[in-house]
Amino acid sequence: MNTPTEHELPLGTTAHYANMHKWLQRGLFVCLTALVLEASFTLPGLLIWFGWPTLSVVEICHELMKVRYSDDTAECLIPHPLFDPSEGVVFRKSAQDLWSIQPRPQYKRIGYRDLVRFRDERLTREAAARAVTQSQPSPATQQPLQ
Amino acid sequence: MASKPKAHAASFGAYDAHEERSAEAQRRADRWMIPGTIIMGTAVLGIIGLPIFLRGLMLQIKAAREGLSVRPVIVTLIGYLVIIDSALNSLGWMMDLVANHTLINRILTAGWGALFDGGYFWHYNELWVGGAGAPGEKAWEISLILVVFCGRLAAGIGLLQMKRWGQQWLIMFCWMGLIVWIGYNLNMTIYGDVRFANITFPVWGWWVYDIFYITPFLALPYLHTVNREIFSD
Repeated sequence: MNTPTEHELPLGTTAHYANMHKWLQRGLFVCLTALVLEASFTLPGLLIWFGWPTLSVVEICHELMKVRYSDDTAECLIPHPLFDPSEGVVFRKSAQDLWSIQPRPQYKRIGYRDLVRFRDERLTREAAARAVTQSQPSPATQQPLQ
Repeated sequence: MASKPKAHAASFGAYDAHEERSAEAQRRADRWMIPGTIIMGTAVLGIIGLPIFLRGLMLQIKAAREGLSVRPVIVTLIGYLVIIDSALNSLGWMMDLVANHTLINRILTAGWGALFDGGYFWHYNELWVGGAGAPGEKAWEISLILVVFCGRLAAGIGLLQMKRWGQQWLIMFCWMGLIVWIGYNLNMTIYGDVRFANITFPVWGWWVYDIFYITPFLALPYLHTVNREIFSD
């Protein structure tokens, strides 16, 4: 018989529950290690997913705001004044939600380093809009009507 | 004096010396595990705290192998793990409750929300209390920090001291985990669109990330089957 004697068992463990306690101990050790590593790598993992170091931490905050409110002008207010309402309140109307008994957000899903792509696409759009504006003659340079 | 009482004194002396050496070995191990746990409870510094904790655990295992009367390893793991679990939950939710406009929180909590739980991304910071705006979430945060995690943390300390009240309290607070998991997940499911529509890793991602918080359900079978006489009144 390979049944462990009471002498070999940890304090408080009876032979009947020895196997269960052994597996619980293994599970607890896995949970502790996984929990700590996960908590440790969440912030750096998120930063890399979102686009750091191409984007600075502040730029990531801005890009998240633009996604949340589906508005290119939305930005984080840093530092945010104590007790002031959220900067998001201004953009509340631009958020793409399907309002019903259960609201359904329609913002863009953020894939790996998508915030960098969103930023580049926005900059391209802005540059194109500037080019269009500059190519049109301004009212001051136009000939006055005779 | 006769020699017999002397022999008794000698044996009691050996017992006392054994107790003293055991207590010193346990203290020595705890001197590593306590700071390790505090550092692991900060979340981001966990990678530094883990080897410090493991060093303490190794010292305790070594002491047990040398025949000293130290805590069972499983009790040590349960005690410190519920403390870490409580610390991580409380830290994350306290950031969401009171530090919701800090830059780090808007990346860590709201950014995590964009990936795993839209309740922490959707209209973030627009409620009068700030932080997550998902229906019901704030009520869960406040009640679980106040009622469950503070109590479970205290119970974990009592268990590590091998006190009977520590074991009894931990049984109670671990059973509360059933209400926590069922209630919290039902609330998320009922407002599933807010929580999981258009986020990066909906539902399955949340489970993969959060499954390691099932500590109470691993602790309960042990706490109910351990010989409770090892915990002192």
